[in-house]
Amino acid sequence: MSSPILEGRALVKSYDDGRVAALRGVDITIEAGEYVAISGPSGSGKSTLLHMLGGLDIPSSGEVFFRGSRLGTVVNLDTYRSSQVGFIFQAFHLLPTLRAVENVQVAMLAISGRANHRVERASALLEEMGLKDRMKHFPNELSAGERQRVAIARALANDPAILLADEPTGNLDSVNSANIMEILHGIREQRGMTLVIVTHENEIAASAPRHVRIRDGRIEA
Amino acid sequence: MASQLSFTGFAWKNLRRRRLRTLLTLCGITMGIGAFVALVGFSRSFEHEWLRLYQSSGTDIAVLESSLFNSSLDESLGEKIKRLPEVEAVAPLVFNLIDLTPDVNALVYGWPANSYEMDSLQFTSGRRFSAGQPQVVLGDLLAQNLSKKVGDTVTILGETFTITGVFHGGTALETGAVIMPLDQMQNISSREGKVTAFHVRLRPTPAGESYANYVARAQKEIEALQPGIRAEAAAERAGNNQIVDIAHAVAWGTSSIALFIGIVGIANTMAMSVFERTREIGILRALGWKGRHVILLILTEAAGLGFAGGLLGIVLGYTALRILSIMPQTASVVSTSISPIHLFESLLIAIGSGLVAGAYPAWRGARLSPVEALRYE
Repeated sequence: MSSPILEGRALVKSYDDGRVAALRGVDITIEAGEYVAISGPSGSGKSTLLHMLGGLDIPSSGEVFFRGSRLGTVVNLDTYRSSQVGFIFQAFHLLPTLRAVENVQVAMLAISGRANHRVERASALLEEMGLKDRMKHFPNELSAGERQRVAIARALANDPAILLADEPTGNLDSVNSANIMEILHGIREQRGMTLVIVTHENEIAASAPRHVRIRDGRIEA
Repeated sequence: MASQLSFTGFAWKNLRRRRLRTLLTLCGITMGIGAFVALVGFSRSFEHEWLRLYQSSGTDIAVLESSLFNSSLDESLGEKIKRLPEVEAVAPLVFNLIDLTPDVNALVYGWPANSYEMDSLQFTSGRRFSAGQPQVVLGDLLAQNLSKKVGDTVTILGETFTITGVFHGGTALETGAVIMPLDQMQNISSREGKVTAFHVRLRPTPAGESYANYVARAQKEIEALQPGIRAEAAAERAGNNQIVDIAHAVAWGTSSIALFIGIVGIANTMAMSVFERTREIGILRALGWKGRHVILLILTEAAGLGFAGGLLGIVLGYTALRILSIMPQTASVVSTSISPIHLFESLLIAIGSGLVAGAYPAWRGARLSPVEALRYE
């Protein structure tokens, strides 16, 4: 078996001085190249767990390890997010003032590199997403499915090892949902990336080789 | 080729997003820098014109009373100064800023008819005045503003004077000035036997001694002649005289206030911008942007506003200075010459103002928690 790429140990996240707990001691290990679906009802803590695995949020207690190194101490969170993780959000989170191709490039501005390389890579990724004719469109000129494909291209911009998707089909109709899931599966298979999807859709959760259920901040057995 | 995105390009797009607000902010900083360019440029050109005035006449030292305003010295002191071995020539003078018409004022000088300073004037028409006569010569700009020519008369403090010549002055202070015989000027300003200052031309610097040393030595000897007087080197005098000092103080004071208002405008814009873009900053942080990248982006926007405001301010300030230089009320003391250093300084101040104004919003933006920012509605 390959070594874990991500490991969360005894993860606790609480708010309001401990009065509200989003996570109550979660242990999770994810192997490199694995495809994991995390599901659970609203408020169960699944997105909070994803944010911690992606270095977006820090646990109130507990630790997250990336390839055996602790996030936030050995591994700088910003560097981790820019080079090892690609995020895909339910609300797409594209920048409205930037064209599709610029939205992809903005992820690459955080790491050094030549401008022409950035634009070439962004164009290639958008082409891969079937958006060759949509590169110069602004987000408000794109359909929901197209926006999510731009967001996927942006998540892949820095060639991360892990793709973290938070309800990636939550704002899409069934046709676009199926299309986005097909793209994500294709990316994982072609690139051997680790894919973690948070979803409340049973069909998507069932399609993953590993399905983790979370309820009231705890992983169900 | 698809659109290439650079850091500055991204900052520019953010500024263009709220065009009206960006435009209004630009107006604020433009006014501030415009005031700085015009007022400080005005006071510096004023100082520069004084220096040129001394240099063109060959004056090395100016002798005045050690008082803040209204220097008044006995005319007889000139003879004592003249007897010093270093001194080649002494020119007593009385001067004042006087209203010639309700709209036009001018520097009016009283010079002896044989003053060495007369030699630096180039007469375009007519001739010098004669001692003891109610005659004047006018700078060409003033003659033009008053529509006067040789043979016409001009009334100064209730006395009528005949214009005997029009000269082309080398400086704005001369070109808009009136010069009359010293005794006439003393008479109309009730200063018989008194002068405002003496201009002193030294003999050539002795071999083996520096000009600065030579002037300093002469200054000491002149000051030793009589208590309560001060002898200033011409260059020093151009920068130190009270009118120039006041002009500098007013210019810096006024433009500092205008700049402060401009800085507050940029700070407000950047703070609003960071507040409105909270979620976007969260997205950037989620994409791996470090705090310093966010700081750099916001400071680039703020410095860009400062730079653009600086350029527009320079144009505005220069235009204001040009208008002042042709207005009859101010033409006698303003020239449009602005040094490249002053322009560079203005641009640096504008960019610096932007950076100062953007510092706090940038720091605030960088401190946003990515996940909190993403949740922001």
